[in-house]
Amino acid sequence: MERRAVIAQPTTGTSADDALVSAARAGDRSAFGLLYDRYARMVHGILLCRVPPREVDDLVQEVFLLALRKLDSLRDISRFGAWLGTITRNRANDHYRRANRAEQPMEPAEEEKAQSRSNDHVAEQEAAMTLAVLRMLPETYREPLMLRLVEGMTGPEIAARMGLTHGSVRVNLHRGMQMLREKLAEKAAPCTERNASANKASGQNE
Amino acid sequence: MKDDYLWDGSGEPDPEVQKLENVLGRYRHDQPAPAPVVEQVFDQLAAEKPVRRRWSFFLSRLSFQLAAATAVVLIGITTFLVVRARRANDAGPAWEIARIEGAPRVGWHSLRGNSETAQLKVGQTLVTDNTSRASITLDETGTIEVDPASRLRVVASGLNRKRLSLERGTIHATIWAPPGEFVVDTPSAVAVDLGCVYTLHVDDSGTGLLRTTMGWVGFKLNGHESFIPAGAVCATRPKIGPGTPYFEDASASFRDALTKFDFAKITPQERNALLGILLVDARKEDALTLWHLLSRVSDAERPGVYDRLAVLAPPPKDVTREGILRLDQKMLDSWWNSFGYGDVYLWHMYERTWSEK
Repeated sequence: MERRAVIAQPTTGTSADDALVSAARAGDRSAFGLLYDRYARMVHGILLCRVPPREVDDLVQEVFLLALRKLDSLRDISRFGAWLGTITRNRANDHYRRANRAEQPMEPAEEEKAQSRSNDHVAEQEAAMTLAVLRMLPETYREPLMLRLVEGMTGPEIAARMGLTHGSVRVNLHRGMQMLREKLAEKAAPCTERNASANKASGQNE
Repeated sequence: MKDDYLWDGSGEPDPEVQKLENVLGRYRHDQPAPAPVVEQVFDQLAAEKPVRRRWSFFLSRLSFQLAAATAVVLIGITTFLVVRARRANDAGPAWEIARIEGAPRVGWHSLRGNSETAQLKVGQTLVTDNTSRASITLDETGTIEVDPASRLRVVASGLNRKRLSLERGTIHATIWAPPGEFVVDTPSAVAVDLGCVYTLHVDDSGTGLLRTTMGWVGFKLNGHESFIPAGAVCATRPKIGPGTPYFEDASASFRDALTKFDFAKITPQERNALLGILLVDARKEDALTLWHLLSRVSDAERPGVYDRLAVLAPPPKDVTREGILRLDQKMLDSWWNSFGYGDVYLWHMYERTWSEK
């Protein structure tokens, strides 16, 4: 019963979104505000897959402003989510390209690691490392997992917002999670070995 | 089911997923809508449409007869303005050319200085010789690097419609315009950007090759359509159009069989043998190729392709064998979308708004 209720949600949400898109097109500012509330996490998550976290918030706003300007060119309002997702990916690609042209940026993972070191905060470092590993996953798995684990969206929400089927999102979450586990284990293994040998060495010294 | 918690947060919490949620939660979105900026954009958009509103207000006060007569006049004026605006749009913004090396040229003008730039307008052609390279950029559309020995012409540069023609050579395109707005003609296919980074090569015979690095690209000619996601390539031949796309890491036998299947003159027996190789050698990733083959093979060959594809990439629930065998477009679309390469809706949107030529 509980599952049925959860799965029924996107349909209602999607038709409500259609009404919001129509209203926003007609100049209703509050409708656009509601669309922002509904889709900001999706846009944020997609961007976070591609650009450093500190730059994501500004880009989220840019994406929505671009979408607002282009809203009239959207033919099928029921595909707003898919359309917005593509605008977001394109904006992220553009950002990446411009960053590359301006200067050779540090690898995001390295940059975040450095930031974490300076803060000397274990939790922050762990978050940065986990985010870096998540970003190494193939795109198909990376986006749904980012939306689920970082943005706190449920699978049905992800499917509804991105215009995907429940089946494909569920499979991608499942496989992506498996892959993430494996990669995190690979990362953890050398540390565990190092810690074990350090403990052994300190035990011998004592 | 074991992954219920991962799926929708229901069921028994998975400690590992919970831990990841806690660790990564610090990156979660928490910014409110950019109210002042949104207001500003709405105001700008409203300011761009005052004429329409004023006219509708005016018309509502006229008598029916007068309104009808006015409408006729308005239609005439509007048609004239639209045609004129469309022409103006086609003349549209110019691409900024930057020299990378050598002396790329537009008409008689060569770019030689290191920081020299020029503009590429509708109807003009950028030509690079064997030692020249250049890039062209258009704000809100993208940037394109043009390799040596290339000829690239601007066909249209209107609002929401940018069209180039690669007559010969190689371009590397990074496009950030909305999907379907940027198109490149080649002698043997039309490449439609669907949100991507890609390389397009055309040789002197008009044969082309498109390689996608990020996102996906549509390739079309004479009713043949190919969708090329990141990591895949697709060849084209004059008078034939785009072949079947494939991933570059497919086996050599698979790639060789596909090239012959698409472009070689072969007997029915040879065709049968080639199709056999494709079906046997196909890996899970090669579902991309088999999906395209569904609509390219004969009715008699299609069941074999369906059965193999269904094993490699099981179809979604709304897709049936019977539906695919009769090439039901909705089912084909649904199966494609289940691969996760890109929403085929974007392609249909392009098809509705652009002509092939």
